[in-house]
Amino acid sequence: MSETKWNVTLLIYRQKGSQSPHYDTFKLEVDPDEYVLDAVERVWAFHDRSLTFAHACHHSTCGACGMRVNDMEKLTCIVPIRDVTADGGTLKIEPLRNFPVISDLAVNMASLYAHMEQVGHRAVLPLSEEPSEPGVRPVAKAAEDDYIRLADCIECGLCISACPISAASAPYLGPAVLAGAQQHGLDGNSDLLALVDCAEGMWRCHQAFECTEVCPSNVEPGLKIMQLRQAAMRQRIKHLFGSKK
Amino acid sequence: MSKPHVIIIGAGFTGVATAHDLALRGFDVTVVERGPFVNGTSGRTHGLLHSGGRYCVNDQESAIECIDENIILRKIVPQVIEPNGGLFVALDESDLAYAERFAKGCEECHIPYEKLSGEQALKLEPNLNPAVKLAYSIPDGTFDPLRLALAFAATAKSNGAKFHLYTEVTGLLLDGKGNVTGVKVWKRATGEKEEMHADVVVNATGAWAGQITEMAGANVPVKPTPGVMVAYDQRLVNRAINRLCKPSDGDIIVPQRRLAVVGTTSFDAEDVNYIPVFKDQVQLMLERGAELVPAIRRAKQRGAFMASRPLVGSGTSGRSIARTFKCFDHKESDNVDCFVTITGGKATTLRMMAEKTADVVCHKLGISTECVTKETPLLSYREFYALPN
Amino acid sequence: MLKNTNSPSSSNWWKWFDIRGRAAGDVAFMLNRITALGLVLYLAMHLVALGQLALGPGAYDTFVQIVKHPVFIAFELLVVAAGIYHGLNGIRIGLVAFFGDTATVQKQIFYAMLAISILGSLFFGIRMFTA
Repeated sequence: MSETKWNVTLLIYRQKGSQSPHYDTFKLEVDPDEYVLDAVERVWAFHDRSLTFAHACHHSTCGACGMRVNDMEKLTCIVPIRDVTADGGTLKIEPLRNFPVISDLAVNMASLYAHMEQVGHRAVLPLSEEPSEPGVRPVAKAAEDDYIRLADCIECGLCISACPISAASAPYLGPAVLAGAQQHGLDGNSDLLALVDCAEGMWRCHQAFECTEVCPSNVEPGLKIMQLRQAAMRQRIKHLFGSKK
Repeated sequence: MSKPHVIIIGAGFTGVATAHDLALRGFDVTVVERGPFVNGTSGRTHGLLHSGGRYCVNDQESAIECIDENIILRKIVPQVIEPNGGLFVALDESDLAYAERFAKGCEECHIPYEKLSGEQALKLEPNLNPAVKLAYSIPDGTFDPLRLALAFAATAKSNGAKFHLYTEVTGLLLDGKGNVTGVKVWKRATGEKEEMHADVVVNATGAWAGQITEMAGANVPVKPTPGVMVAYDQRLVNRAINRLCKPSDGDIIVPQRRLAVVGTTSFDAEDVNYIPVFKDQVQLMLERGAELVPAIRRAKQRGAFMASRPLVGSGTSGRSIARTFKCFDHKESDNVDCFVTITGGKATTLRMMAEKTADVVCHKLGISTECVTKETPLLSYREFYALPN
Repeated sequence: MLKNTNSPSSSNWWKWFDIRGRAAGDVAFMLNRITALGLVLYLAMHLVALGQLALGPGAYDTFVQIVKHPVFIAFELLVVAAGIYHGLNGIRIGLVAFFGDTATVQKQIFYAMLAISILGSLFFGIRMFTA
């Protein structure tokens, strides 16, 4: 086990109260196998107790620690420092975009949670509906219904931060929410259809696929939005040809 | 008559559950937390919804608390739980020697259990070590730490509780006679300082309890005892897999979403605010985890982290301190009135810890109310954000 | 609650065109927007130019002199490139949105169409400059 130490510079975005934002510099000695969140936490613990940042589980199940690291959305508890910089390098750490900032690196995710509730995304569901990746089959397919698992989406907001449409258009529901709606399917669900089949719903997406790129949880929101569109088109065609649904 | 005001310091599991209980009993509740929800010990649990099996031999008081609360939580907050049960797995002679005591312990603690052969266990969990000789199935589960806390917080908020996150208590307000009358806070999001008054202050800061009680010249025998957890990026099992032995390092694997989390160790620490991850402990988790589920060696490490258990009592070895909780009324222990500390315990018993704490608070204020949290289903955790502030 | 000044805004408008750190699909989207603007601008100029032709044969001769100039041909090549790219990306968008799980290979399709656009532009460029 190597005990390599790197010297990295952390450039952290600070925003408090009514003051204008600025960046603070901290020089840290780190183990490159540590996670970015560990470095941020050390800055708080030993250098600046006023640093405000969100975190909870430290193992990618709560979705709280999303930040922008060197201009890319990351879930900082599972990103080793060696993946984002080198010895002597810099880590620029900023809050997620497209959410209001509470302070420093902490953002208010209320809108995401509220919308996920609106589209009725289920937080727990049968394994048969959300199987873990192929090649790892801990149970026989027939038994998958017997198990309940927490859904893949951890509501971390990275996709919304990375989405160029969310940047340009505040009312856009955003990838997480649309992917969340897709969980149900649209058949016979006219309320959900009305919510997502509109200008600020699935049709506002321009297929940049930044959401799929940054999602830490295998949700593939971009694909799900396309599936939602196909489901909506099927509904419209059915409706056109006289189905009374 | 206006409602009595309680300030709860800490929005970990104990803080949010106590806020929920007191709000239901008609109190005006304010929770102050220096970070976001469950950013301390609570967030970093591996998420095991204990059946009590781990404690049924050596710490039966804890075991009974666990099984009772396990059943209650499955009823009141199923939206955050993977209820798939667990196995205690015997791999060698030493494990087999423990089996009889384990079964007896389960009986004595009314933990439902079923004995399975090695083949039956492998059928349920194909990734188990093929050398498994025997297994006991018990009603363990997995819960999502943040969402469990948010569900309590959402319900409390719907009943009037107020939550101030990123608000750090820097001191306690004291009357001339050393009793607590409120808290001094530093609102870290803006830099402002403020004073808040209360009829009772509840210290629910877990491993940090001693730092808060010091502010009133009081003491609690809390021993922060960290342990490591390592998360791997495959859902290799669908149930909690426990080693059939007395509590020891690396004796459990907990599934959650597409992860498998191996835990844990136990050692002393001085600084509770930051404990580094020790690579030798991570390696130990890999070794011990691979004994239970060999496929872990082929899985990629996704995360590694440390959390400080708040162990109560001033014994020497961490694992021999009982895992149950204690509520301190500082009037009795330190002659500081209007100040209560709740610490110790484990995540699974959060509701019960809150009930006991709320009982103490009510008793102090001469209020007689019933606890109804056993039967009250919690709101969706997302309601915390959907409800207006 | 504070405004998120980490988001793109009028003061950092140039960031819309910075491809560093952006995924392939996002670059495709950006190029789609730029080529669209370019083509619309071309259309406007085209209509203005045609309007000039209504002014008689003298105007036509002047017009032909302008469009034979190499600089003008270079601009026209840009229009051709923009048209090829925009058309191909449009097909990609249609496929990805409406045909099964094409979204899982959208990056590969983008790279293929980008390659065709470059080759097509080269081909036409050579023809236009050697005619």
